Amino acid sequence: MLLQVKNLQCGYGSLRVVHGASLHVCAGEVVGLLGGNGAGKTSLLKALVGLLTPWAGEVIVGGRNVTGQPAWKAISNSMVLVPEGKMIFADMTVRENLLVGGYHNPDRRLQLEIVLERFPRLKDRQQQLGGTLSGGEQQMLAIGRALMARPRLLLLDEPSLGLAPLVTQEVFEQIVKMKELGVTVLIVEQNVMATLSVADRAYVIETGEIILEGMAGDLMRHPEVKRAYLGKGRQEVWE
Amino acid sequence: MSVLDRRYETMPRIELEQLQLERLQALLVRLKRNVRRHRERLGDARITSLTDLANLPLSGPEDMADSFPYGMFAFPLREIIRLQSGVGPEGRPLVIGHTRNDLTQWGRLAARQLVAAGVTANDVIQIALGEGVYPSATGYLLGAELIEASVIAEDPAHADSQLAMLRNYRPTILVTTPANALELARMLERRAIDPQSLHLRTVLLSRPVPADQREQISAGLFATVRCSFGVGEVLDPGLCLECEHHAFHIHEDHFIAEIVNGELVVTTLTREAMPLLRFRTRVAATARPGKCACGRTGMMILPGARLDDRLLVNETPLYPKQIAEVLAQGPLAGRPFEIQILDRHIVVKVEMSVELFSDTIWCIERLQQEIEVEFATRLGVEASITFVQPTARGQGRGTAR
Repeated sequence: MLLQVKNLQCGYGSLRVVHGASLHVCAGEVVGLLGGNGAGKTSLLKALVGLLTPWAGEVIVGGRNVTGQPAWKAISNSMVLVPEGKMIFADMTVRENLLVGGYHNPDRRLQLEIVLERFPRLKDRQQQLGGTLSGGEQQMLAIGRALMARPRLLLLDEPSLGLAPLVTQEVFEQIVKMKELGVTVLIVEQNVMATLSVADRAYVIETGEIILEGMAGDLMRHPEVKRAYLGKGRQEVWE
Repeated sequence: MSVLDRRYETMPRIELEQLQLERLQALLVRLKRNVRRHRERLGDARITSLTDLANLPLSGPEDMADSFPYGMFAFPLREIIRLQSGVGPEGRPLVIGHTRNDLTQWGRLAARQLVAAGVTANDVIQIALGEGVYPSATGYLLGAELIEASVIAEDPAHADSQLAMLRNYRPTILVTTPANALELARMLERRAIDPQSLHLRTVLLSRPVPADQREQISAGLFATVRCSFGVGEVLDPGLCLECEHHAFHIHEDHFIAEIVNGELVVTTLTREAMPLLRFRTRVAATARPGKCACGRTGMMILPGARLDDRLLVNETPLYPKQIAEVLAQGPLAGRPFEIQILDRHIVVKVEMSVELFSDTIWCIERLQQEIEVEFATRLGVEASITFVQPTARGQGRGTAR
């Protein structure tokens, strides 16, 4: 188990957002964390990397308890977060953006070649300013920047946010390819269908509580998932 | 020997416990949301570790009977794609529902047992489970189809036709009841047929049998014998599997088993249609400590006898109260009776009043026949009724012998 989370609680001010969530991610897996708006997905991710201090519970990465560690230490646990809304440096070039991602990595030049090889679009636009890229390209850049740190665990927060369906597909194709690189991925998403099609397993979170865990294929057929996220069977028929 | 789902069947305990905790927490949330009966009992109970499970309320078959038919379902009926009826305490009806995923999962779990018994895609497997064990047969069928073995899902009524099937289709695996297997073995012996002329490799019995019977079947059919163990209300087959070292391993990625005062208590972690929380199975069991040489990490149990008054007549479950009800139809209402269970049928000895005994033989015989027909049609079991003179000893009513 690369990541093990037990009874994690976190929130803002006096408002508790995540009420004791437990989940795990094994090495080499792509795991989805699905849920609607305000379910607590992003808060949970933030608590994992230390952007939010957990109120209770444990976060164990590679056998080490890292609960409540400051965010800047997350990288030493080989854990990198691709934040919601990309957060790339708009006034820096693509190349600079990528190098920033690998600032602590002594082999960053080598890693840069690997990342550019993986994202040919970025290779063509190395000298272009980050802010001038399209939404999809910015997302690729954000993922590429995260890969510069050579993470073992990549945390993706809503990679499909604000992207056109076709571009979303491209981003998810890249996520599938991560597996080949040996990177373990935890994706937080609202786009249930796309996530389940690339993930091995997934969790469904609602109002801060995990309500389901299962193989991606099984969850796609789960009545509750179908009803809540895939818009099927809205009328309920009780005997 | 082969393991179907190595990742989960041999999962290290620490990972298994994390998985169980996650699934248990999610289960509690779903139960509180979707099943009123559980919501009322659970209140705001929360679980932060697996040991907290012991503080949650127990449930049992009477809950299923009380909320019959659909009160325990966690989904609207339209999501339930299979309904399976059962019999609960005192013969009250129960119903078990399955969603699409439940059936898929059932197939996978049954397949684990089949693969552990050595079934491969190259095998011809006969599932000879008829009346009374019919729901189990559907489970094996799902599993065998998943493995893509060639399945013969037929239970010939007569041992002769069974033998013909074994000769014609040459199944290598036979899934059957202990009584059928014993009968077949005896028949081969009686007719001096060499069991090696059949192609049987493994006989999988629908329930555990004592070691001597296992030996007898194994020698009589010249095949290895495996037993399956399940609880109809939970999952049968699919609750656990018997490995090559004759240990029953609970599928702990899908169930949590506890032994509470000698009784097997099961929590279903992944059931969708009708999740059960700390369900008292009414079956005695003991936990077997230690590690199994087969490499599986699932808890090992030793199933025991039933703890309630449920009887098994030719694999059909039956409660003494049901027998009393059948007898209550005619002039025998309220008479004390004694029962004896044989291989295939049940012998009911009814104490008769002196007035009835004074009737002509013809009358008594007709009454006998009427009651036997009632047993067959109402309870689905073959019965033979004998009348005895009232005794002064006043034997207990409805006692099984």
